[in-house]
Amino acid sequence: MSEWRHHAPEAGAQITNGLDFEDLFENAPCGYLVADGDGRLLRTNRTFAEWIGLDPRDLPGMRMTELLTVPGKIFYETHFAPTLRMRGRLSEIALDFVTADQRKIPALVNAVESSGGTEAGPQLRFTVFPAVKRRGYEQDLIDARAKAEATIVTERADGELREQFIAVLGHDLRNPLASITSGIQMLAKESLSERGQKITALMNGSVVRAAGLIDNVLDFARGRLGGGITLSLSSREPLEPVLRQVVAELRSVSPGREIAARYELPDPVTCDHVRIGQLLSNLLGNALTHGAKDQPVRIDATTAHGELIIAVSNGGAPIPAAALEKLFQPFFRGHDRVRQGLGLGLHIASEIARAHGGTLIARSDEVATTFVFTMPLCGVGADQK
Amino acid sequence: MSTAVTILTVLVVEDDQLVRMHGIGVLEEAGFQVIEADNADVALEILDRGVPVTLLFSDIAMPGSMDGLELVRVVHERWPSVRLLLTSGHHRLMEGEAPEAVRFVRKPWNSESLVGHVRELVNS
Repeated sequence: MSEWRHHAPEAGAQITNGLDFEDLFENAPCGYLVADGDGRLLRTNRTFAEWIGLDPRDLPGMRMTELLTVPGKIFYETHFAPTLRMRGRLSEIALDFVTADQRKIPALVNAVESSGGTEAGPQLRFTVFPAVKRRGYEQDLIDARAKAEATIVTERADGELREQFIAVLGHDLRNPLASITSGIQMLAKESLSERGQKITALMNGSVVRAAGLIDNVLDFARGRLGGGITLSLSSREPLEPVLRQVVAELRSVSPGREIAARYELPDPVTCDHVRIGQLLSNLLGNALTHGAKDQPVRIDATTAHGELIIAVSNGGAPIPAAALEKLFQPFFRGHDRVRQGLGLGLHIASEIARAHGGTLIARSDEVATTFVFTMPLCGVGADQK
Repeated sequence: MSTAVTILTVLVVEDDQLVRMHGIGVLEEAGFQVIEADNADVALEILDRGVPVTLLFSDIAMPGSMDGLELVRVVHERWPSVRLLLTSGHHRLMEGEAPEAVRFVRKPWNSESLVGHVRELVNS
């Protein structure tokens, strides 16, 4: 409805300074409406009458509201007219007109209240601009925003579902693993042949690796979905038995490897003992996987100068500087992709360090590759619990 | 001259048969008398019958009308002298989640850590 047609000036039109004002009114590129103070139409131009599909002569006497949709009527009476009365002018107000054949014309309306120079009281003057396209764009924007918001809600719900799925999967996998562990440990107490003992030891190693993978995947999923690494801080229990158990566990599943551990932990450490055990397990597992098989893996756990320091080092080819920078990124697996699992162990270890207000750094040269975890003995404060 | 021997009884509540067998084996080897239940309802029936129990060692996630957390709350209220040890492979005991007297050992536990926790609790 943005078209408008020019009509020839009517006979006897008044021309001033070369301008035919009657023609300017009637055939303007916008609708003109003039109404009395009560909104009863006094005159409309031909452009508007054509848009609306009525004879211009039938319009005077009609109320402005008769030309509007039902919501338009309500808006006109409750907002438009009172505001116009109060302020004297309005601009770019969206109103929907109804044509003679009941089509809706979205439009933008400007209005002024004028004394009109008559004794009949104030005049209301309206200019009407059809805004089908513009209102269409606006509606598209509103629709697009609603769609985007709906997508976010769906994605969030999907994410929560995924987290729940991973949690349930992790839980359900841990139960049979615990069951297998019990079975292996009971079998190991039977009088087995040398071969039987070797098989149960290997099975135990597989269970330990599987349990570690489950821990890492669950923690990674939680971290990605906003849960982060959760800590249960305590300083009551000593840390050394936890570390010793981790070392014993990995030693038992790494026959033929030398693991030399030194513990100097006289000071209490406020930390999540299970998490620090997990951190050591990840570092030690990494060292056993990537270190030279004929060289020992060394663990040095000490408390000194207000800090807990756990260093894990192995011999073998140094890690290139470029790879060293990426070690703590999730899913980083270096050049040896076959025996390295998911590439989450070091990432989770660094997240555990961070959650404790500590650091995990790696250095590597021809002599050794060493990971050093450092955290304050007093922990990260009660708010992190 | 006679010596009074205190018999310490552990009630093991665990739905997984292998884990339960393992726990019973480890605890019996360590000198405890062991009674078993495969869910919380059976455990409460045993306690209701007046069987003297020194320590309750329970899994958290179990089928039945209540889980291990609910079980230790009920036992702590009705039989306050019973020492309580929970275990789980998935659940991590957070502060305030169980009565303060409750200790936790993570699954899979090894025989040393299980016996260590049980000894500490019965001696406390």
